[in-house]
Amino acid sequence: MSATPVLETRGLGIRFGGLKAVDDVDLQVPEGQTLGVIGPNGAGKSTFINLVTGHLRPTSGQVLVDGQDLTGAKPWVIAKARVARTFQIVKPFRGMTVRENVAVGVMYGPDGMTRMGPALHRADEVLEQVGLGAAAGRSPGELSVADARRLEFAKALALSPRLLLLDEVMAGLRPGEIEPSLQLIRDLKAQGMTIIVVEHVMKAILAVSDQVLVLNAGQRLMLGPPRDVLSDPTVIEAYLGHKYAARQAAAQAAQPTPSPSAGAAPTLPAASAGSEEVSPDA
Amino acid sequence: MAPTLSPAWRQRWPWAAGILAVAAAFGLQTQLYSGQVRTVGTIFMFVALALSWNLIGGYTGYASFGQVVFFGLGGYVTAALMTHAHWSFWLALPVSGLLAAGYGALIGIPLLRLRGHYFAVATLGVAEGTREIVTNLPDLTGGGGGITLPTVGAAASTKYLGNDGFYLVFLVLAALCLLVTALVSRSKFGFALRAIHQDEDAAAAVGINTTRTKVLTFALSGFLTGLVGATYAFQQVTIYPERLFDVELTVLMVVMVVIGGSGTVLGPILGAIGLQFLSEWLRQNYTTIHTLLLGAIIIAAVILLPQGLVNYLREARRNGDYSLLANVRRYRL
Repeated sequence: MSATPVLETRGLGIRFGGLKAVDDVDLQVPEGQTLGVIGPNGAGKSTFINLVTGHLRPTSGQVLVDGQDLTGAKPWVIAKARVARTFQIVKPFRGMTVRENVAVGVMYGPDGMTRMGPALHRADEVLEQVGLGAAAGRSPGELSVADARRLEFAKALALSPRLLLLDEVMAGLRPGEIEPSLQLIRDLKAQGMTIIVVEHVMKAILAVSDQVLVLNAGQRLMLGPPRDVLSDPTVIEAYLGHKYAARQAAAQAAQPTPSPSAGAAPTLPAASAGSEEVSPDA
Repeated sequence: MAPTLSPAWRQRWPWAAGILAVAAAFGLQTQLYSGQVRTVGTIFMFVALALSWNLIGGYTGYASFGQVVFFGLGGYVTAALMTHAHWSFWLALPVSGLLAAGYGALIGIPLLRLRGHYFAVATLGVAEGTREIVTNLPDLTGGGGGITLPTVGAAASTKYLGNDGFYLVFLVLAALCLLVTALVSRSKFGFALRAIHQDEDAAAAVGINTTRTKVLTFALSGFLTGLVGATYAFQQVTIYPERLFDVELTVLMVVMVVIGGSGTVLGPILGAIGLQFLSEWLRQNYTTIHTLLLGAIIIAAVILLPQGLVNYLREARRNGDYSLLANVRRYRL
């Protein structure tokens, strides 16, 4: 296993006029690691993904994939470097079947299959993997929210990625629907895939992340193991405001708060539940 | 329920039907009067134009409102080559197509960065501007007074083809456009076009070079339109900038594709044939108000079948619901 991180960003940033949406982010994601990315709305999580995948051009800093400088490369170049992403707002290709949606990635991704038959066959395999096998022949418009998110997942997996960036693939899902997605991430992890998970569902972040990156106002607030990060006072403050942080600290001094959603973060239960709604993120 | 066909035949029957239709069109010529030959030849011309527009406007979703620029350019290149350089039409024809394609790529690189209405307006502007350039190069193009191609006697670089000849050329061009569309629609490339139409970011994210794909498609569409324009110029003998760069031609292409079903193989063909027949029939039977009636019918068609005839039939067959009212509700509300 190489020592070169699969993804490295150096001083990565982008300005929109006077707003620094992402500001000077240094990050290294070693091969096989799952990185969770959290942060309040507008913290720059989606913008960060857009910068890494070429959908936005950074105004400063560098993006290196496997040590190769891909700063400002076009999205299709990045896709061919086996870096795949999902979109927070699902973007199915309407007018094609679910199977064909995935086959597009098989044909145009790094594998570049030219023949329809094998591409559709491979698409079916990917759909099986995400649990959408039965919906292969349907039109994306007929899918439920959960299945539409799975399709988004499948379209990314069609690229056989080595680095997968998931932008809130669990947003809007019911608790029972989250578990299969988590299992899928665990499976991919077991195969050695490097994954970046942007998520508001704290339970999900905790369940799969090796490291958690906290973004706030575009900046890297903290990076560390999930439990350390979620109990950090500056993180709580960024999420819930300083009043809540003070109250929480006081309460914790008295007695530990039991968490209502099983397995959720020790100190951030309310935040995870409250911000699950899809929100127009920066 | 759809009739059950073996998978192999489901693949083959459209090709078989296409070949039969083209063969039938060749045969049809022998059954027509001379005047009808010309009318049907014009229908083939519009079939070819609608199919060409459909590549960029239908599949890719970039509504080119300046498509006539390729038509005009093709026509004027052929006119200039035949008149000044005494080229044979058969040589001028492909060269006209290639130059139109080159022009498409050239204007496509900046214009295809624009989306939606902006692209439409920008292409319209390019077409108008190009017409002005052509008008203002009288030595080459004859300017506003028009240019007459040498088609008779010893001066003719290629002997005039006559109604029968142009019928065949337009038929071959329509068949070529049909072949290109059929190939595109079933290929990897066609999927890229549809993906771009739906969502360009998502298309780029799965590895589609959206810029290159769009420019190539615009050039291809320009190539085919240029061939048709070249043939039209030869058929008309004397051409004028207002005729060859007439916005109405673009509008007809758009209307034919939209009514027939954009982004389908069959839609533009049905749209072109239907609209030409209808327009001809109305002209003969309601001489004074035919344009009014045609307009009213187009409006009704767009309201009732906003997705076009072919797409409507496809969806209706799948849902088992042929109600037009339900269709309107589905698309308007």
